[in-house]
Amino acid sequence: MSNKVLDINNVTTGYENKVILENVNLTVSDNDYIGIIGPNGGGKTTLLKLILGIIKPFSGSVNLFNNGDHKRSLVGYLPQENKFDKQFPISVRDVVLSGLMSDIGIFSRYKKTDKNKADALLQRVGMEGFAKSSIGELSGGQQQKVFLCRAIISQPHLLILDEPNTYVDNKFEGELYDIIKELNKEMAILLVSHDVGTISKHVKSIACVNRKLHYHPSNHITEKQLAEYQCPLQIITHGDIPHTVLKHH
Amino acid sequence: MDILELFNYKFFNHAVLTILLTAITTGIIGTYIVSRRIVFISGGITHASFGGIGVAYFLGFNPILGAAMFSVLSAVGIEFFSSSKTVREDAVIGILWSLGMAIGIIFMALTPGYTPNLMSFLFGNILTVSSTDILINLGLASVVVVFFTLFYRTVQFIAFDKDYALTHNVPVKLFNCILLCLVALTIVMSIRVAGIILIISLLTLPPTTANLFFKQFSSIAIVSVIIGVIGGFTGLLGAYYFDIPSGASIIFTLVIIFGVSKIYKYITHKK
Repeated sequence: MSNKVLDINNVTTGYENKVILENVNLTVSDNDYIGIIGPNGGGKTTLLKLILGIIKPFSGSVNLFNNGDHKRSLVGYLPQENKFDKQFPISVRDVVLSGLMSDIGIFSRYKKTDKNKADALLQRVGMEGFAKSSIGELSGGQQQKVFLCRAIISQPHLLILDEPNTYVDNKFEGELYDIIKELNKEMAILLVSHDVGTISKHVKSIACVNRKLHYHPSNHITEKQLAEYQCPLQIITHGDIPHTVLKHH
Repeated sequence: MDILELFNYKFFNHAVLTILLTAITTGIIGTYIVSRRIVFISGGITHASFGGIGVAYFLGFNPILGAAMFSVLSAVGIEFFSSSKTVREDAVIGILWSLGMAIGIIFMALTPGYTPNLMSFLFGNILTVSSTDILINLGLASVVVVFFTLFYRTVQFIAFDKDYALTHNVPVKLFNCILLCLVALTIVMSIRVAGIILIISLLTLPPTTANLFFKQFSSIAIVSVIIGVIGGFTGLLGAYYFDIPSGASIIFTLVIIFGVSKIYKYITHKK
């Protein structure tokens, strides 16, 4: 029996009267693992901002569920680009704890249990022993793991990952997808990517976003289907021999 | 003269208290400025405040009040222009920087009769501190300490990753605005110690030195305060014994502390 964690109902939204997303519907249940694909400028980031509550719908509604509670901490978020200052004086553990910001409020004080939780998460992603290091001392992949811990420390029902493989090497990418697969047992996952090939190896279903949203209830998608969805993307298929199918030219 | 005998003089006691209070404020605010890399913004605010000093002299009210008004206004202005993104932030800072100096010198020239001691505003003169100044300094130091104690995590998280803080619905703009105003007031209250031209070093040297050995915002801030106190007292005594300007003497001492720390760090790191 699966529970609904997110319901986007006929939403139109954008910026300053410029419509980016139109009549979008999406329902996410707690064991979903949805890949979100679409061309650049198609509205993937806008969709994330909508779910995170940074922008509001012009019309329609966005609902997060936890027995009726609506809290920001129900959604964990791993941004695509972490525009942080590498030399900023902050420890790895503190970065993870910052994922509890909206639970604890602006007078934030962390309890011993919160710190233990942060350390347990770091251990889970293989980063034990780094709790007191400065964030800037870590490699890109290690930092990404720390940011993943920050995203899940509030025990969200929905985890949003925006192009998590952008700045990491292949070895780490595999590790990351293993961790996400494990996390999917506890929470729904929305994985944003422009790379259909990589994504379809991992996700259970696909949503194409290009002003409209088309939900595709399997992880196999063909170029023909993408065309029907008006989602102009290059398809990279995978099989025994990985190959790329190029568009007509 | 014995050091202890110096405490018989009121001006010396005032200077000591001012150094202590300024070290607390500049240590904490300086750590924020350096970690957030807003040294250039702080420089702009500092020089803009000179306009307020000139206007205050011309109209005949307390120059520190004039400086406070100009620096807070320029802080809010910079925050406003940088978030509206219609003008380049660094260009705005540059304009406010020299505009403040221009207004200041024009109004000082227009002020009839006695021309105020320009040098003490530009380079500081800790011996001119009044009892009122000390009370204001005490008030500001208390506000800064209380603010950073209450909102330490929020300040740290916004400074570290503003965009992520926004996804948690933290009032990022409000916090940045309050902090920039605290930066502005700290600058104004340090004018007596180091003067407009030297303040930036007073704010940046202690945290930069502390950062050589400490990697946490809170420990850098605390160590900066300690360095500020040591540098301030040593500088003050140096100014007395060698009969040199106190502001420059304090900055020079802080530079020496930084240099020695850097060399120490270099040698111990090599081993």
